[in-house]
Amino acid sequence: MDNMVSVVLNTDVKQKDADSAVVVAVTSRALFEQGPEDDETGVWKLSRAFPLLQAVQKVNDCLLEKNPAESLLLDVILITTDSQHQQLSSVLISSTRHHGLGVGKFFFSSEETFIDCLLENNVQLFLSTSKDEVLMASQKGVPSALLEARKNDSSVQCQREDLRVWLHEDLISPCDSASQPSSRHSPQRFLAQLGEIRQRFGVSDSPLWISLVILHGGRENCGNRLKALRSLGVSVDDVYCLAGAPSDPLLSLLQPHFRFNCSFVN
Amino acid sequence: MSEIKPEETAAAKDNNEDQDWAAAKAFFDSLKTKVPRPPKPQYAVTIAVSSRTLFNMVAERKIYEEEGVEKYVAFQVEHENEPLSPGPAFPFVKALMNVNSRLRQLYPDSEELFDIVLMTNNHAQVGVRLINSINHYGLTIERFCMTGGQSPIGYLKAYMTNLYLSKDSEKVTGAIEEGIAAATMFMPPSECELSDTQLRVAFDGDAVLFSDESEIIVKKHGLDTFFEHEKEFENKPLAQGPLKCFLEALGKLQRKFYAKDERMNCPIRTFLVTARSAASSGARVLKTLRSWGLEIDEALFLAGAPKGPLLQKIKPHIFFDDQMFHIEGAKELGTISAHVPYGIGQKYHKGKLIEQPAEKK
Repeated sequence: MDNMVSVVLNTDVKQKDADSAVVVAVTSRALFEQGPEDDETGVWKLSRAFPLLQAVQKVNDCLLEKNPAESLLLDVILITTDSQHQQLSSVLISSTRHHGLGVGKFFFSSEETFIDCLLENNVQLFLSTSKDEVLMASQKGVPSALLEARKNDSSVQCQREDLRVWLHEDLISPCDSASQPSSRHSPQRFLAQLGEIRQRFGVSDSPLWISLVILHGGRENCGNRLKALRSLGVSVDDVYCLAGAPSDPLLSLLQPHFRFNCSFVN
Repeated sequence: MSEIKPEETAAAKDNNEDQDWAAAKAFFDSLKTKVPRPPKPQYAVTIAVSSRTLFNMVAERKIYEEEGVEKYVAFQVEHENEPLSPGPAFPFVKALMNVNSRLRQLYPDSEELFDIVLMTNNHAQVGVRLINSINHYGLTIERFCMTGGQSPIGYLKAYMTNLYLSKDSEKVTGAIEEGIAAATMFMPPSECELSDTQLRVAFDGDAVLFSDESEIIVKKHGLDTFFEHEKEFENKPLAQGPLKCFLEALGKLQRKFYAKDERMNCPIRTFLVTARSAASSGARVLKTLRSWGLEIDEALFLAGAPKGPLLQKIKPHIFFDDQMFHIEGAKELGTISAHVPYGIGQKYHKGKLIEQPAEKK
């Protein structure tokens, strides 16, 4: 039945501590390419979310290197957001295992049930390639972001694909989850956890880079936002205050994995 | 280097850009504190200054070099409510601000202004102290780029930079190689009293406004050959140098004042300070400027005499030269100097070919 959501564990991967891990849900459509399975292996090819998963893996590896007992890890789960993919659970599982992806769990849900599934399973960040899905989830209070398409010829030197997060202050974006004070809790908590992970590393050796981009405001906004994020425990690495200047060139340079609106933090 | 600002590309991008610009405009217009809105970068003359040129961070730099980046950032955070003292680009920035307020009075709706950006590879946490310091002096800097350790060179184009000032000669060289006017700033040991009503900019000629083609002749074949060559090619314009576009941008703003009958009271004045002599090699320079449609307010031909004493009289907010020998001479006598690391002059010191490459930190 369409309303049934099934949760399947990936037995290839060690399960993370449910209380401490930061659960990041990625859609199946973002991870695997549309189209038929590969003829030889019978699995799907990887798509836009793959670099993100690699970067997350790197962060987790670095965290465990510092502290083998670390429980504040990023826990990636794969979620289907339409009934077509919901039916294809076996291909999704085998493709995931074939590529050796560090996905902890699978949530097989449909268009109608995926948001409830996110809410019930304590997902702290939802990543998709669909603007509509991101908007819908945000409005229900799930911190969400669009996965960015990444170019191959980035001029920013990344040492082995660090996880690059772009936080922006956007004064014109449509009503995000956190315009209501009551729904600020989740996004704020997600940022605080991100900040805590960042704090595990030093100024220059971190596998997680957090950039702050002030799109429309000026100096005062910039200063306030830096301090507000800091009081939330988020120590941003680099900051770009544009005051209305075009942001596309910066996007090409920074090549973030996803962009997250932090206008609510004050 | 021939365009002041490159043209815009795709129409779809334009739409996003227009939205962003409109949002920023609305935001600034609604502010109670009436901060002047920063100009649209596509029309503005963008000057990117590094943190160490805007402020004096000599002591902090020492901590960075001797104790490492972690200690340095911690120190800056600890002292973030203490404003930094002014650096070599500070008077230049204040002078730019003055020109902007004059322009805003005459052309309230124009975006043709100076756009000042703080461009640094400092970490964002140091940014709080930098922002506090900018607040302290009331500088109108609303755009920032703090790259958290990455070289800022890649970001200069993203901010549509027309001129980049830094204390790091490697970065400056990198910028020039990317086709962006740039110079390494030096702080004079003593403070000079500078005009607070007029921006005064002095340029050397060869290898700064013009290419180093004639410099090459002097270095390789001597002065006599140089004089003969310049006379022979008097009517052939020299090729342009790295700072030509900046002079052009200044000229464009000057003409806005002339159009409003403000020539006698123009808050921008430009100077050419060259070792060439008027009689033997000066004509070619003036004819080149004329062929480019550029004006320079005062052209001073020194015929090899030292530049320091003359610059003392001129009192520019910044003096651009390609030869360290002149920079040092100017600096000693109190002029804020900016070295343009371009052309054959980099391989020579006081007329002698440098045998080994100079060591850079």
